[in-house]
Amino acid sequence: MLFLNPLLLWGLLAASVPIIIHLINRRRHKTIQWAAMQFLLKATRESRGKKKLRHILILTCRALGIAALAFAAARPIASGLLGWGGGSIDTVVLLLDRSASMEARPGDGLEARRKIILEQVATAMDSLGGARLVLIDSASAKAQEVPSPDVLAELATTAATDSAADFPTLLSRAAEFLTETPGRSEIWLASDMQASNWHTEDDRWAAAKASLEALPQKPAVRVLSLTGANASNSSLQLLGSRRTGDELLLDLAIQREMESRGASNIPLTTRMDGTRTTETLTVPGQSLRFQKRIPLPENSETGHGWLSIPADGNPRDNAVFFAYGPARPVKSVIVSAPGEASDYLKLAAAPPGLGGQSTEILTPAQAASLNTSDVSTILWTAPLPKDAVAESLESFLSAGGQLIFMPPGQTDDQEFLGMKWGPVKVAEQGKFFILDSWNQSDGPLRDGIDGTPLPADRLRAIQRQIPLGDAAPLARWEDGESFVARRIIERGTVFFLGSIPDYTWSNLGDADVLLPIVQRTLAVGAERFDAAYLTSVGSDLTKTFPGETRRRLDDYGTPDAANAAFEAGVYQLGDRLLAVNRPVAEDAPEILSREMLDAALDGTGHTLLDQAGQAGDPSLSRDIWRAFLIAMLFFLISEAFLCLPKKSSTQVIPEKIHA
Amino acid sequence: MKYDFLDNVLLSRLGSLPIESRVPMMGNVAGKHRSPHRGSSVEFAEYRKYVAGDDTRRLDWKAFARSDRFYIKEFEADTNLRAYFVVDASGSMKFAGKGDSKIQYARRIAASLAYLLVNQGDAAGLSICTDKLHLEVPPSRRAAHLERFFSTLNNIEPSGETGLLQALHTIAEKISQRAFVVILSDFFTDTSALGDALQHLRYRKHDLSVFHLMDPLEIGFEFDRPHRFVDMEDGTALVAEPSLIADEYKSALRDFLAAVRAKCHDASADYQLVTTDTPLEPLLREFLTARLPKSKH
Repeated sequence: MLFLNPLLLWGLLAASVPIIIHLINRRRHKTIQWAAMQFLLKATRESRGKKKLRHILILTCRALGIAALAFAAARPIASGLLGWGGGSIDTVVLLLDRSASMEARPGDGLEARRKIILEQVATAMDSLGGARLVLIDSASAKAQEVPSPDVLAELATTAATDSAADFPTLLSRAAEFLTETPGRSEIWLASDMQASNWHTEDDRWAAAKASLEALPQKPAVRVLSLTGANASNSSLQLLGSRRTGDELLLDLAIQREMESRGASNIPLTTRMDGTRTTETLTVPGQSLRFQKRIPLPENSETGHGWLSIPADGNPRDNAVFFAYGPARPVKSVIVSAPGEASDYLKLAAAPPGLGGQSTEILTPAQAASLNTSDVSTILWTAPLPKDAVAESLESFLSAGGQLIFMPPGQTDDQEFLGMKWGPVKVAEQGKFFILDSWNQSDGPLRDGIDGTPLPADRLRAIQRQIPLGDAAPLARWEDGESFVARRIIERGTVFFLGSIPDYTWSNLGDADVLLPIVQRTLAVGAERFDAAYLTSVGSDLTKTFPGETRRRLDDYGTPDAANAAFEAGVYQLGDRLLAVNRPVAEDAPEILSREMLDAALDGTGHTLLDQAGQAGDPSLSRDIWRAFLIAMLFFLISEAFLCLPKKSSTQVIPEKIHA
Repeated sequence: MKYDFLDNVLLSRLGSLPIESRVPMMGNVAGKHRSPHRGSSVEFAEYRKYVAGDDTRRLDWKAFARSDRFYIKEFEADTNLRAYFVVDASGSMKFAGKGDSKIQYARRIAASLAYLLVNQGDAAGLSICTDKLHLEVPPSRRAAHLERFFSTLNNIEPSGETGLLQALHTIAEKISQRAFVVILSDFFTDTSALGDALQHLRYRKHDLSVFHLMDPLEIGFEFDRPHRFVDMEDGTALVAEPSLIADEYKSALRDFLAAVRAKCHDASADYQLVTTDTPLEPLLREFLTARLPKSKH
């Protein structure tokens, strides 16, 4: 609770007046010679208890009545945001979520959540009188003095962005700022409570809270949450982009709101090289993941473009941007002794008729001369590497390369990244090793984009070797042993397959399983060459290096030059061409639960004002002096009621008396 | 007037009203009050059979002529009345709210009634009791005796705790003949013991009249601020907020008054609860009128 006239709170001292008067009266009694002492003594004994309680209640009512009057005169303001802290605030640090999800409108005809919150904060600041407002926005994470709450919504640092928010960082920045700011302060976190912006499991929360604890005057932490329903909205996401020869392959997804039912036709507009085309997509449910192939102009070295869906509840999630560089063949290397396995692997890695893919076969002895600089994927059917070769492969993985190990066909104690092969096991006569389960949503055995599962259950193995070590199994044999295990090494991934495409081992050479595994791995490995053209807002790639200037190339929407670093689009940064999209996590619908928020802010004494469903109400605080006046009336009426003389049931002298 | 508790106008107005006894008196001399013995008054009492030794002058010859039997005609004997005024002179009797103190009011009643009694030929005596002192003025019919009576009344200085109960027992033992005993007190004592004392007097066949004197302030208990109450008898003090304890005080007082009244009723005493702001004339007029025999109305 805050007070607009805090000086009048001195009036609270008047609450002690009835008590003081009572005490003075007790001391300033009149002495009287009294004869009927025996009744007085008896009455005094009997009046202890209820009478005393009644008298105390009367005094309490009088004191509280005066106190309520003093409170009312001090013009109290109460709300969930301003809480019941009491006293005046010197500084308010506003941590503003400017992420793309904040541009969602909570309902048709309403403003974006960011604007609503800014209006509410401005109103609350006006109520606080002369409190200083400091803004730390989620995009720049820098503290900025706001000259007046009235201009808050007009600042460039409160404008919309396509960035994500990182609240642990913002809270740390607030703590840093407050170390040099004396006086009573409060931190207001304004957010739509999108879970991805809070990183509740992050260790940085502990550091941020420790910084707050270390402040000489611990600030109050208040969370202004604007959750609730959204206006109808669909979002377009670019999951990946890859150039294969004269074609650009885009992995795309359209996501509708959680409550949407039935199929929906959504026009998809593509803009590239001055040409605009529109096609209609039918989204059968809440989401649709699809690939779009865009033929590139002949001899095109580089280029860019964007795709968009119509405007809806959130204008920031309707477009994605892409850029591409020169065509680069997808190269793979097979390290294997000549034989049936190497032949099948070669067919899988560079199928005849599929241009742009090439593979090179090396014997294990030649592996030492392996050059990984332009290689997407390495298929390794030989004893695990060691020494310099192993180091070279680790570097390859760190740079984003993909590596598939298959059994060497012999027992080997050699380890690579803590993994090694178990002994060769042969199935019983007339029986096979059969796959029992595999991860259908993640990994190289995942279902197709259209949801069709891979026929991995057709795999039959006579021999197998089990990968041993700390790796995540993606597929298991019937006996529970691992068939595919995965280790992620920085940007790269290493897979261990438990059999080889040799009919003395298994039917892995059939296209059912091997081809999708190899081709999917190749695609991921090739993205490290295209990654230089695609990134998300806020990544290191979007920063300009010394001497570079930022120039926007696309013609989508109305760019805000002051926020170019935080807006999605196609940019020319010096010599670099970069398509920048909003982080995919910004489209995630998960909302932070109260428990998670409490866990993240545990120890800060935070208060939450959830404005769910109250987006139309611009006020965060309300005058509550009327409530205090009512309280005063209540106390005074109670006092009067308690003071009413008690009706005597009988007269002292019931019968005839000479008086 | 020499004594401020005497009111000539009052006495002259009440002079026409006799003070009657409610029980037959046993006086030394002839008077206007009934006696338990047969006497020579003009009031016929009864016939009884003649027995040897009776005075033949008292034979009713007309009755003998009608019945041929000897009857003695008996008449009521009239005698005088001896009154004892017992005045409580404990410290509590000194209490005065806004008007007279209780002791002053007791003086006025005792003096007025004594004057009327002596004036009609009866004897009036005075007994003043405190815890330490028991002054006594023997009853006398002489007008000159009144001076001593009034002087003693005038010199009463209430103090200390009450010695009323002991005084009542003493009087009951000491007075051999029936008497009219008038008690003037606030009775701030043990009501059970008071009942015993009254019963003692009643046992001696005395005619009892009780004037229970209370100050209006003691009954109303109306104060507007806390007071420090100092006991007039033993000096103990108590600070209290009267408005808080008024109900309990009045309840206790009510019980006390009812108890005193019951004890007086049990002892066939003529009970009068009087507040000190009561005008004396109507009080005494009503008191005296109520004592008149019904046949004389």
